[in-house]
Amino acid sequence: MTVDDWAAGATVGGRPLPAAPDLARMRVERRRRLQHQLDAQGLDGLVLLGSSGVSYATGATAPGEDSPRAGLFRAVAVVVRGDETPHLFTPFDDGAPPDVPADHLHPPLLPELDDGIEVMATALGELLPPGCRVAVDELTHPMKRALTGYDWCDAASVTGPCKVAKTPDELACLRAAQRINELAMQDAQAALHPGARQSDLSAVYLRRIFELGATTNGIDPIWQVMAPTRDANPWTLHGDLAYPTPTTDRFLREGDVIWVDAGISFHGYASDYGRTWLTANRPVPTARQQAQFTRWRAVVDAALAACRPGATALELCRAAIAANGGDRPWIEHFYLAHGVGTDSAEMPLVGTDLGESFDEALVLAPGMVLVFEPVIWDEGAAGYRSEDIVAVTDDGWVALSGDRYDPFGLAA
Amino acid sequence: MALEDGGRVDFTRLRAERRQRLADAMASAGLDALVLGRSADVRYAAGARQLWRAGTAPFAPMCVVVAATGRVHLLSVWDEGVPPEITREQLYGLYWDPGNLMQALAAIPGLPEAALVGTDSLTPLFGQLLPAVVPSAEIVDAGPVVAAARSRKTPDEIACLTVAAALAEAGLAALELALAPGVTERQLVGVYHEAMSRLGTPAVPSDSVAFATPRRGPVHFLHLATERPVGIGEMVVLSPGALYAGYEAGLARTRVAGGSAPKGAGALAERAERAIEALVAACRPGSTGANLRRAWEATGEPMPPVPLAHGTGIGPEPPVIGWGRGDQAVLDEGNVLTVQAWVSAEGTGGHFERDLVLVTADGPEVLTRGRRTLR
Repeated sequence: MTVDDWAAGATVGGRPLPAAPDLARMRVERRRRLQHQLDAQGLDGLVLLGSSGVSYATGATAPGEDSPRAGLFRAVAVVVRGDETPHLFTPFDDGAPPDVPADHLHPPLLPELDDGIEVMATALGELLPPGCRVAVDELTHPMKRALTGYDWCDAASVTGPCKVAKTPDELACLRAAQRINELAMQDAQAALHPGARQSDLSAVYLRRIFELGATTNGIDPIWQVMAPTRDANPWTLHGDLAYPTPTTDRFLREGDVIWVDAGISFHGYASDYGRTWLTANRPVPTARQQAQFTRWRAVVDAALAACRPGATALELCRAAIAANGGDRPWIEHFYLAHGVGTDSAEMPLVGTDLGESFDEALVLAPGMVLVFEPVIWDEGAAGYRSEDIVAVTDDGWVALSGDRYDPFGLAA
Repeated sequence: MALEDGGRVDFTRLRAERRQRLADAMASAGLDALVLGRSADVRYAAGARQLWRAGTAPFAPMCVVVAATGRVHLLSVWDEGVPPEITREQLYGLYWDPGNLMQALAAIPGLPEAALVGTDSLTPLFGQLLPAVVPSAEIVDAGPVVAAARSRKTPDEIACLTVAAALAEAGLAALELALAPGVTERQLVGVYHEAMSRLGTPAVPSDSVAFATPRRGPVHFLHLATERPVGIGEMVVLSPGALYAGYEAGLARTRVAGGSAPKGAGALAERAERAIEALVAACRPGSTGANLRRAWEATGEPMPPVPLAHGTGIGPEPPVIGWGRGDQAVLDEGNVLTVQAWVSAEGTGGHFERDLVLVTADGPEVLTRGRRTLR
């Protein structure tokens, strides 16, 4: 299978999935969806302060930044019903896409600060006068003081329905992001040997992602060593496993079982790499470890066998549990699967504390993306965890992630 | 790695002094509780090592500080990375159902009775849900309280910032070593990340660390690296930052990428040096943002597209001086600011300098080191 053939004829909404995303078309289709939701919900506009929301609404690029920095020097998107082109207020004018014309591109607003908040009030008032019904993702205290007279509602009601199912270009973008992630991880895995430090793996990985074309890094890469017994792993509130814990300069040692997790962004779309690695100069899984992988594969395959338009999230959960001999094969504070898009974890969420009735009401539709990440714990011998990402297609699903699980067996 | 005599930063004392400042600021404002969502505020209050993520996160109650008990409560499923003074009873879990999260908050001793609660932001959702947890409370802006605590740095905080400065300088050295005609801006970003990871600090403040400026045509300040190879004799801005225990430091220098410097490069460098030194000189107790702005204007340089200065601690903080803001800010002993100067000339290129400055009783102390030289 070449990179170009990745979709193997799959369709979403009757449309084929392109080899590479058409970025301009992708932006247009997202903006149309936002307009449709504003119309459908009788809203006058949308104000987005969050980095993933701004990326979704405008297609603008921003540097990958630490949260405090990203929060103070924000880009802000304002979408007005009836105007398909969003307004972008940004400190990063070189990140504005070419289809945002000069009259929609503005200097930055600093919504975290009281100082200058009247600029935001004036700017917003020119686009959406007070009295309008506006969906917003965050209301800082300065905004609440200065932006008066608005009928605010939560932006999730608008962005949620738009984001939960992806267009063909978005799926191609996710696939491209994942591919960069996986290629960089090959080099990182080659650097894993006894005596390497977690941060040494990050060094190889993070250099490589930029060489391969990643737009930004998304999370501090995780190389968590899983001790063989639950007691030897960190204490948790719920008694289940702790995962993911942050990287340090810790040495990796012979035999360490490492659960890897990392995410890079490509043109606003996140990726999610998850694998189990073994620390050794020539790692070979024991029979017991191979059995853990085999069980993991069976759980994912059972969920995938149930995965098609019209299936519910609850059916996926039940299939996974049955394949694991009746035990829930995922960590209590997490899920069997989560969505990915401009956020690294987003709807659909499958198997969370939202509960079974939520899962039962969640019906799979073409374009939804699922990152399956069950965990097979084998007390006394650690366990196996990986992630398979699929897009729900018109007929079933298509893989967005790769099929190597080295040093474990090949994919089904 | 720790030193066997317990040397280097005393993190227990660092955290205790931060908590005390927060408690003092809460008491002055009459706040019974803080409900915090901004990662920097959570870091300041709790001091836990939590997962680094790029970009903003919407407000959610990640940390609660209760005045009556003096306790910090933290959203953390595990105690790994959590300082010992935050006991397991003070942790609450991760929930995808906001109702479950609110239930966990309602179990925090002292919170439900609070009459005056400060938050550092809100979403419409939490604006609706939080009042049910604190039914008799007025919910107000925690911003001034948190800023009062954070803006003047303790000696331990300054030590952390100094370590971050050294790390940023190491990043600069790696970038300088890799800088040569033909290397792309993205390759430079990759080199920087590799260097920071090798130092044991893979989480960085920003990947906006290198951009080349052209010798012909208009010159722009760029935030995003491209695949463009650096040209012979181009002036290249190198602006690495670093994080240590959450504290951010950054510096920027401009170097010529091999070959001869463009005509006018020396003069441009002098303009940048003059401008940043004027800003640095204005960083003294009692100085205002207006003073910094006027110091800049006195150089005759056009206002740059980036701020002249901003507070710095656990990442950037108020005040922001520039973009038409910051005139009213008053600097105080113990403030730390990132100060920066961008100048450009068509036909030569651009020159950017950035430093980290501590305001002391005797005037500015520049915490970052790096020769202002084109090579």
